[in-house]
Amino acid sequence: MSWLPEHGPGRDDFARTFALRPDLFDAWREFAGIFWEKRLVDPVLLELCRLRIAQLHGAAYPLSTRMREATEAGLDEAKIARLADWWKQPGFSELERAGLRFAEQFVLDAKAMGDEEALPVVLALGDAGTVAFVEALAIFDGFGRFCRLLDVQPNEESA
Amino acid sequence: MSAARVKPPERRGNDPISGSVLGHQPEALLAFMKLYGRLWSHGILDQSSKEMARIRNARTLDCGI
Repeated sequence: MSWLPEHGPGRDDFARTFALRPDLFDAWREFAGIFWEKRLVDPVLLELCRLRIAQLHGAAYPLSTRMREATEAGLDEAKIARLADWWKQPGFSELERAGLRFAEQFVLDAKAMGDEEALPVVLALGDAGTVAFVEALAIFDGFGRFCRLLDVQPNEESA
Repeated sequence: MSAARVKPPERRGNDPISGSVLGHQPEALLAFMKLYGRLWSHGILDQSSKEMARIRNARTLDCGI
C-alpha cells in the first residue's frame, strides 16, 4: 500500500489511492482512457512510451501493468525487456525510436526539446496525432510521478 | 509544442483553448476540461495553493499560456 494513511476501495493500489478523490478518479479514467479507446495514437507506440517513462521515474505500479490494446496489437514481453536500452537494441521501428527519444526529452527536460527530437514525430504523426501523443505523454509523466511519490505498489496480479 | 511545429486547427472558435493546438483532438480536450474543471471546482485543496503550483510549474517550463 502507498504510504498514505487512508485508502479507498479498488482492485489495486493505484485505484485504492486515487479512490480517495473519486470524482477526480472518474474524470481521469475518462481522459486517460480516450487515447487507447479511440486509437488516437498507435497503441504499441503509446505503450512503449508509457513503460519507458515509468522506467525513468522508477515507478513500480505503471511498470507492473500492461495495456490490453498494445498486447492485442502485437507488443510482447521480449520487446519490453529490451526497452531500457532501446537505442542499442534491434526490433524498434523508426517511429518507435523517434517517439521514445521525444518521450525521454519530454520527461527529462521539456524546455530543451529541439527540432531534432520533435520534427520526426510531427512528420510521422501529423498535427492531430502529435497533439494526442503529447497529451498522452503528459498523463504518463504526471501519473508516473504520482505513483513514484506516493509509492503506489505494483499490481498484485502481475507483480 | 511550439506553433512552428504544430499549426492550430483551421476551424477556430472564440475560445482560446479550443482554438489552440489542443483543438486538433476535440474529444480528448473535452475529457481534459472535465477533469481540469473538477480539479478547480470540486477539489478540497484551497484555490490559492493550486494557483501557486500552476504558475510555478508554468514558469519552470517557460510556458506562456
